[in-house]
Amino acid sequence: MKKNRFPKLKSKHYLVIMTIIALGFIITSLASDKVAYPIRAVAGYIITPFQNGINDIGNFLTDTAAGWQDVRELAAENKELKQQIDTLTEQNNQLLQAQKELARLEELYRLDEAYSDYPKVAAQVISKDPGNWYSTFVIDKGTADGISVDMNVIGQGGLIGIVTETGSNWAQVRSIIDDESNVSVMLSKSSETFMISGSLLEKNNGRLNFFQLNDTDETARAGDAVVTSHISSKFLPGILVGYISDISLDANKLTKSGTLVPVADFTDLREVLVITELKQTKENS
Amino acid sequence: MKRKLIVFLMIWVLFILQSTIFQFLEIASTTPNLLLILTVSLGFMRGKREGLFTGFVSGLMIDLFYGTVFGFYALIYMYIGFLSGCFCNVFFDEDIKVPLILVTVGDFLYGIVIYLSRFFLRGRVDFIGYVRSVIMPEIVYTVIVTLILYRLIYLINRRISEKEKGSAKNLWLKN
Repeated sequence: MKKNRFPKLKSKHYLVIMTIIALGFIITSLASDKVAYPIRAVAGYIITPFQNGINDIGNFLTDTAAGWQDVRELAAENKELKQQIDTLTEQNNQLLQAQKELARLEELYRLDEAYSDYPKVAAQVISKDPGNWYSTFVIDKGTADGISVDMNVIGQGGLIGIVTETGSNWAQVRSIIDDESNVSVMLSKSSETFMISGSLLEKNNGRLNFFQLNDTDETARAGDAVVTSHISSKFLPGILVGYISDISLDANKLTKSGTLVPVADFTDLREVLVITELKQTKENS
Repeated sequence: MKRKLIVFLMIWVLFILQSTIFQFLEIASTTPNLLLILTVSLGFMRGKREGLFTGFVSGLMIDLFYGTVFGFYALIYMYIGFLSGCFCNVFFDEDIKVPLILVTVGDFLYGIVIYLSRFFLRGRVDFIGYVRSVIMPEIVYTVIVTLILYRLIYLINRRISEKEKGSAKNLWLKN
């Protein structure tokens, strides 16, 4: 059909034309983020609802697969778990007391700006990056629910990532384990700030790289808690990121680097919380 | 027109599958590149132009939801579709060897381009490491899925071609 309308156009001409169009997209999107926005808005409505539905099937399948475990195994596990409950209740009581004490102390130090106080929106992960190079995912809440770019995403007790794109009913989140992700963090113990960056090669070990840790007091050890720093431009301070896994002195004998295990389990992300407060607005107000 | 609609539908379905169900079916945290299989297959069966447009639309889908640079994936997929279209003249029915080779090469090129443009330029120089942990697993998984998916695309393509031939014949008879 098209051949008759454009008799002179061969496939290589199309190649050139489409290449120019694609390059045009690339250049304009490098210049401004707003270019793709109208197309993205429409696409949200033809893709997101289906991803949502099919993703439920996927969750169902994983759950059923997990349900196929041996019954005997489960019975044994049950027994074991009951014993654990007893010990845990005891521990819990102790922890509750400790927490009360902590709350009192926090009040004392006016440190009650922990992230439990931030306004949050719960969202479901509906799809993940179709390729294997990036660790981004899409959630089922968007601008309509008050989500905007640069909002922090937490879940499973720790930092998950940051919102990078939004549509009216979806938002794209870049995990902290993504290769292009860099977060300014600090040791919760000594408030020493340094950087963590995701790494594709470390991802399969479930780790992130950290570097530029200026550990003057020589106190940093494996197992130390790492939280987002107060000097980060996009991440709210004090969100738990993970624990140092191994640490070594750099060749310059000044700074330390190593790997860090995030608290969140990125292989099984289903629900996340988006903090609907931006770092900037906090500073401005 | 009908063909275009069906091709678009295939892209749409595969994109949704790739970003949802196949994330649960991942092996060694790798997912197969379904859209690449479709692009290569259609290019191989139908020629450069169709491969080019299928690739462009497929890439655009990824750009819309997962691209940081809009148009980047569209460009890569488009060239892969065009290249596989160059082998259209060796397309024979039921032959799966050539498409398998094309998918392997296509996926490898895809990996290399992404590595060079998005990782190497940021100082990630461990090329062998990336080949071993990202590119190779993806190729293996994608090739395995091609064994099934190619058949399916082939059947759909034959069905549309038969219909088109049928209607073309009718038109010719009427005139």
